[in-house]
Amino acid sequence: MDTGTILYLISLATMAGLYAILTLGLDLQWGFAGLFNAGVAGFFAIGAYATSILTTPGSEDRLGGFDLPIPLGLGAGVLLSAGLGYAVARICLRLKSDYLAIATIGIAEILRLILRNEAWMTGGNRGIAGIPRPFEDMDQPWGELCFLLVVAGFVVLLYVGIERAWHSPWGRVMRAIRENEEAAEAAGKDVIAFRTHVFTLGAAVMGLAGGLMAHYLKFIGPDATEPILTTFLAWVMLIAGGSGNNRGAILGAALIWIIWSGTELLTQRLPSDWQTRSSYIRVFLIGLLLQIVLQRFSRGLLPEKPPRPGGGKPG
Amino acid sequence: MLKSFRNLALGLIAATGLAASAARADDQVRIGLLCDVTGPVANFVPPMLDAAKLVVAQVNAQGGILGGKQLVTVVADTQGAPQTAVDAANKLVNAEHVPIVVGPLLSGTVLASAQSVIVPAGVVQISPSATTPVLTTLKDRDWVFRVVPSDAYQGPVLARLLIDKGFKRVALTYANDDYAVGIAGTFRTAYKKLGGVLTADLQHDEKKKTFRTELATLAKNKPQALVLIAFAGASGVTMVKEALEGGFFTQFVGTDSLRDKILIEQVGEQNLKGIFFTSPSSPPGTPSMEAFETAYSAAYQTTKDKLFIQQVYDATFLAALAIQKAGSLDRAKIRAALRQISGPGGDVIKPGDWKKAIDLIAAGKKIDYQGASGDCNFDKNGDVAGVIGHFVIEEGSFKEVGLVTP
Repeated sequence: MDTGTILYLISLATMAGLYAILTLGLDLQWGFAGLFNAGVAGFFAIGAYATSILTTPGSEDRLGGFDLPIPLGLGAGVLLSAGLGYAVARICLRLKSDYLAIATIGIAEILRLILRNEAWMTGGNRGIAGIPRPFEDMDQPWGELCFLLVVAGFVVLLYVGIERAWHSPWGRVMRAIRENEEAAEAAGKDVIAFRTHVFTLGAAVMGLAGGLMAHYLKFIGPDATEPILTTFLAWVMLIAGGSGNNRGAILGAALIWIIWSGTELLTQRLPSDWQTRSSYIRVFLIGLLLQIVLQRFSRGLLPEKPPRPGGGKPG
Repeated sequence: MLKSFRNLALGLIAATGLAASAARADDQVRIGLLCDVTGPVANFVPPMLDAAKLVVAQVNAQGGILGGKQLVTVVADTQGAPQTAVDAANKLVNAEHVPIVVGPLLSGTVLASAQSVIVPAGVVQISPSATTPVLTTLKDRDWVFRVVPSDAYQGPVLARLLIDKGFKRVALTYANDDYAVGIAGTFRTAYKKLGGVLTADLQHDEKKKTFRTELATLAKNKPQALVLIAFAGASGVTMVKEALEGGFFTQFVGTDSLRDKILIEQVGEQNLKGIFFTSPSSPPGTPSMEAFETAYSAAYQTTKDKLFIQQVYDATFLAALAIQKAGSLDRAKIRAALRQISGPGGDVIKPGDWKKAIDLIAAGKKIDYQGASGDCNFDKNGDVAGVIGHFVIEEGSFKEVGLVTP
């Protein structure tokens, strides 16, 4: 394999990893706690914009930049996103599930409009360019490979962390609340408090995904936070992979992204008279493959396997 | 279920791998077209792809490229968003190994694909339509070019026109929108460099109902004129009216945003003596433009109501010329060649003159491609100069009295 192909495979893996983080965040909220968050885009955007504003060099077109180190920017993005998650949870978690979905869509859209229109802060439609990427001074493909390792490291860290939480008493309470809210409450569990925790945690993870994505793309603009490439995609990845199963979430993210990106390599082989059409054929192919995956694996590629009491092997 | 999943996964990975390493024919030269085919500007794209196809048809009909090879284009769709633009650029540059990329169209997709993939890989990228001023100062190590002028290009032109007309001390005010802030920024720098003095420099909120306080501040220190960068329909007309009523200013200078019929209607021509404007203008019917019009109309009916087709054509033609001049698919040689074939200086090449161009290149002569959209002479930032006109008011309407260069 030549360097080019390796670089493409690295980029494929990096994007899959970034989406895996986003999907793990959603898995915390939906797979664990049954909280329907239809505003993934909002938390993603907060994380992305926060770190972009903090880590870019100064610019007179918008707020900042403050030229801070990348870990600081990412950390701030995670905190802000968690803060927003906490606020949303406090306001909305008393709502029943479908109302929560509507409320989160609303909040995500409001955020997106703010980011698009408050140009003094975010650069508006022009977005923010020149976001630093760690290891970018290294030669190809080493810089790209190091970034991939960082992303993979986060995925592993989150996976291990969430798995441990899943098997802890805290995780058992979560499942109890998800399956039967009244019963959990009758057992003396503070349902709202538990839900607030998990929603905030999920939001923080989504913020991390947004932040890392901004550093990877080196550019962030309102188009990057469109629901189709954030909320919708994260949901498809989670459902296809298997909600409630963290390995499923990661696998779903990888599989769906390979479909999303790889289909173009096939449609590019079509004759050049089909140039315009081939891009639409690809969109059709993506839809078709998603249908096949979702139809054949209606419970997800790796369905949820709740641990048995008494320390059975995790699914 | 697990088995069918394994088959599906294996099938997908195999297909992706196969596609990524598919054999590339040696008798072809491929140009990458990174295009926002689906997504927010989908409607505009098909005529642009036609423009690129026209280049391909002309090149292949007139002897091919690099000694008779076929020119082909590979389209990758950015879907109009940064994530997918980066992915698409990766496929073109790394999986498809194209030596040069034309596109994308939107400023956002250009910035993401350039910074994240194309510049690190060291591939020339020519955008036909990204107008964001950010591209000018982007740290692109000279890999990113465009054939459309930046939004900010008008500023230096305005500065030059003022100095040439003897305005050495002016007051500047501009609205708080992207457009005005951008032009004001580049105007300020250029004007000071040329020795002009800004007696006042004030941003105003275009939604305000009255600007008397601002005008009083602006009129201090006896400026020769008020440079007003604002849309006539927003704060422009109100400011001009109030400045005349309050006796703050009688001489105004504006940009294309103020060059609006309602200014004459609401203020009156007799009150606007001496006012002048800069505004983007189309190049006067050049032979290059006519050559393009004829060829495009013959192949695809009409050029009417099709946006940026001239720029896409020019970008693709320049890409082909650069490869031919470089004599190979070496990415660094192509970059050096791009500046050599785009001029200024040398034998003029018009759209469609492929045979003439390859003969001149073979003979070692210098060539200068004059495009359908303009002269396509790149400056050190990879930008092109726009065509900016000098406008005045005459007999109740705007009249172009000449072109200005910075």
